[in-house]
Amino acid sequence: MRLLTHNVLRNNSATSTGAKALKITPIEVRVDEPNPDSSTHERETTFVKSLLPSLDWETLLSGAKALGLDSLPPVVTPELAEDEGFLRALYHVLMDVHLVNGMLTCEETGREFPVSDGIVNMMLEESECR
Amino acid sequence: MSRPELTGHASLFYNAKEARKYDSSSRMVGIQREITERAIELLKLPPGRPSFILDVGCGSGLSGQVLEEHGHIWVGCDVSRDMLNMANERIERKREASASTGDSDAPSDDDDEEDEMDEDDDDSADDDDGETKRNKHNEAPSPGDLLHHDMGTGLPFRPASFDACISISALQWLCYSNTKEQIPKKRLMRFFSSLYQVLRRGARAVLQFYPETSEHAVLISECAARVGFAGGIVVDYPNSTKAKKHYLVLSFDRAYKAPEGLSGLEGALLNEDRAGVRVADKDPKKGKKQKAPRKKKGVGKTKEWILHKKETQRKKGKETRMDTKYTGRKRPTRF
Repeated sequence: MRLLTHNVLRNNSATSTGAKALKITPIEVRVDEPNPDSSTHERETTFVKSLLPSLDWETLLSGAKALGLDSLPPVVTPELAEDEGFLRALYHVLMDVHLVNGMLTCEETGREFPVSDGIVNMMLEESECR
Repeated sequence: MSRPELTGHASLFYNAKEARKYDSSSRMVGIQREITERAIELLKLPPGRPSFILDVGCGSGLSGQVLEEHGHIWVGCDVSRDMLNMANERIERKREASASTGDSDAPSDDDDEEDEMDEDDDDSADDDDGETKRNKHNEAPSPGDLLHHDMGTGLPFRPASFDACISISALQWLCYSNTKEQIPKKRLMRFFSSLYQVLRRGARAVLQFYPETSEHAVLISECAARVGFAGGIVVDYPNSTKAKKHYLVLSFDRAYKAPEGLSGLEGALLNEDRAGVRVADKDPKKGKKQKAPRKKKGVGKTKEWILHKKETQRKKGKETRMDTKYTGRKRPTRF
């Protein structure tokens, strides 16, 4: 599971409001090398730029911290949003940091979602649904 | 043969053995790719930039592969863990290929532990899908992520998360209930109302599915309409039972009208039946085997029939006794 996915993921069971992101408890994390092929860089920065307005920045900060990354700024200023270096670093954080094994916890309800082999188990029982 | 959906839960049908069969059948791969290409065409995504796409019922990642080739970033969900494991293998292979063609410090990573799926290093299984044509995105690791999830429980994302949604050959599973608690209409409504929430405004969804009956198709489109989507069902090749494909195209734009389906027989692979992964199922009219000899009228099987039947069993690969002079011999007394 990468941080981009974690950013949009919510607990949608009947007992949860789905307002907050899931808390990460990592067991195994993997960080990939950024793609060395420079022809993809432009696509990557374009993607991040279009994504930036809708990103849940607080969630990204806490998620990155849980996976051992402290380097993100607390707030994204308009200057930063145009800075190529920042956008590339942000792409790397969103796409190349993987939670391979661990647990995601809904802080509202305590419901746990295990992560194994990079796959998050979001299966709900019929009784947990709205 | 019955539809896969009638045999039980999707995760039971797509178990490890079926998943492997599905993924290694090059015909299946070809058909799924064509369907995905058509779905991407119908999505009319903004050109020039990658989109963030949700793939519902992503299975073994065949459709995800096509999305990647178009340069998009995707999150896939599926109810079958075995299919997801196959998708994971595919992603792993890609990642290892990219790591070794990249810079010199190949498999080692900056951080912590090594990933466990190293046994795939020696797997020289053919990656026949997609790596030939689009060279641009060949070297990059896969931008796909996987979730083990049942779409009938609603999509677990915050509002306005995705630029688009795609679903290939999955939606019809919602029309069947596998436990006492599951009610198809309820699950469909949960799915569509959550889809309405998690798509950005201006986004579109294209869901290719196989309706068993027109009632199913109507149920599906009604649920989609009820939650507020505009759109319709695009039917490609409506006059061919084999090539016919249904795409539910959904939009937030109330003025949106679904385009016309394809009608010429352009898509060669799509002219074949969705045989699922039941390899034994053949069209009797087209089969090369001879017509089976008739059984005797009333009781009893003729020797010819028995020999023919045993031959068929052997062809299927089943263990069959040798044919001897005693095969089909008329017995002296009743057993």
